[in-house]
Amino acid sequence: MRLLLHPLLGPVMPGTAFSVAAVLIEYYFGLAPALTVMLAGLCIADYLFVPPYAVLGFIDRSDVLFIVSFPLVALIFITLVERLRRAQFRAELIASVAQSRYEMLLRHDNDRLLARRAVDETHRLLRHLSQHSKQFVLIQALERTPEWTNGTDAGSPRDAVAGVLAVTLPPAEIAPGPRFDDVEPEDIRRLSNALWPGSHRVRLRACEAAAMHASTGMQCETGDSAAQLVDCVCERFTTHAGDFLVLRIGE
Amino acid sequence: MKTSVRTIFNEGDGHAVLMLHGLSSSPLELRYLARFLNDEGFTTCVPVLNGYTAGSQEQAMEQWLDAATREYDALAARYERVSICGLSIGAALSLALVHRRPQAQAVALLSLTLAYDGWAIPWYRFLLNWAYYSPLRSRYRYRESAPYGLRNDALRAKIARAMERDDFSEVGPSTISLPALHEASRLAASVRSHVRAIRNDCLIIHAIDDETSSPRNPRFVASSIGSTFLRTIWLDDSYHMITSDNEREIVARETALFLRESEITSRTGDAGGKPVVSKALARRLRQLAAMGKGRA
Repeated sequence: MRLLLHPLLGPVMPGTAFSVAAVLIEYYFGLAPALTVMLAGLCIADYLFVPPYAVLGFIDRSDVLFIVSFPLVALIFITLVERLRRAQFRAELIASVAQSRYEMLLRHDNDRLLARRAVDETHRLLRHLSQHSKQFVLIQALERTPEWTNGTDAGSPRDAVAGVLAVTLPPAEIAPGPRFDDVEPEDIRRLSNALWPGSHRVRLRACEAAAMHASTGMQCETGDSAAQLVDCVCERFTTHAGDFLVLRIGE
Repeated sequence: MKTSVRTIFNEGDGHAVLMLHGLSSSPLELRYLARFLNDEGFTTCVPVLNGYTAGSQEQAMEQWLDAATREYDALAARYERVSICGLSIGAALSLALVHRRPQAQAVALLSLTLAYDGWAIPWYRFLLNWAYYSPLRSRYRYRESAPYGLRNDALRAKIARAMERDDFSEVGPSTISLPALHEASRLAASVRSHVRAIRNDCLIIHAIDDETSSPRNPRFVASSIGSTFLRTIWLDDSYHMITSDNEREIVARETALFLRESEITSRTGDAGGKPVVSKALARRLRQLAAMGKGRA
């Protein structure tokens, strides 16, 4: 471009175009390429645009002025841009640290919320157990340790609850409730294999049905061998110690 | 008094972590992390690799890789999952190993070093590459100097005393031979060429003020690696030895979390594995997913 403008500009500002080029190279590519462009520009500009043109081996006052002024100006700009680039690089790194910490914070916050949700569920289970203590048929543990809690909340609450519940759970992961023996064994087997949250109907054994009728004031014929169907409710609890299904006889 | 160099092995669950220490160093520099991971349930193994660990005759980097592969295979034969974790040049070795054994569960790169270009590396460091081809090869040893990869002043002073009286300390050797440095450069060049082919889950942890390897090292891997589950964590209160420095607890906790998430994700096929109940985290994950799509 400087070559195109040379007929118009003549010997005026021979290094300006090369200074701009060096600064742009510094901004986009860094220090070493910029210094290379500056040195190349110094030689080219002195040879082509400082009179006498295209002559080697002749140094006069204008050459000396150019050789001193051009690098001085170019270096000042390159140094300033380099400092800004380094500050920008540092700022980007610090922003990366802040971002990493923010993401760590969010992950830990998520863990905390999960733990709190599990604690709430455990409390709900305990309230449920105490409120309907005489109506339970069975408690089934779906899994002892939920996968998502592996190693993350190595905390005391999980261990404590697991310890308490481990006592109540038989090896088959079915804990019998007070009404377990009142239900027909065939229904128990069916529910053990396919229990899900919601309503179920089970058959009470004959004598237990009679007792239930008596307690509720209903008439029951002596010697009636037919089992009675009753409504049951199954609820799911996601606790620290795992997921549990609790089946109880409905109100 | 000579410090003993021996393999660290802690029995845990079915997820084993093979941990590779830095160049010419010892398993001691990963002792804290190994213990933490074991407390979190992982089986951890920090092996002594012949020709790579301090105290053994230097060997070619292919021998390092073979020795690491043997350790990996021994763990893979006994445990359901094996992840690989490396520190410094050990991280580069981990990348080479995971390229050779793509069935590895995940790879954790701590203070990854593909080039010695940190702020404490002297400008004439490149001359050592040429010195390798001179008679200096067997005579000269590159001597470690302050800050020894440590930002923690108290620990740095302790390490300085240990370096004076012994060949190596718990954060690395006092000197490194030219053949070892040369082989490390070859290993780094090899890793650079095939990092794009690596698809395993990847965790990168690096300090922005790392005096040995600049942030350009992890940035290169993060932008090149083919992992779908990639997490980069930047630290600002440590130098190179992040497993011993001020933020070692963060390093250990995040490594354990990542390895467990990687395991759960691969087991359930569910992205992230763990339920996301935090709205802020869900928003951030959506942002990251959008950025990932943009990058792809």
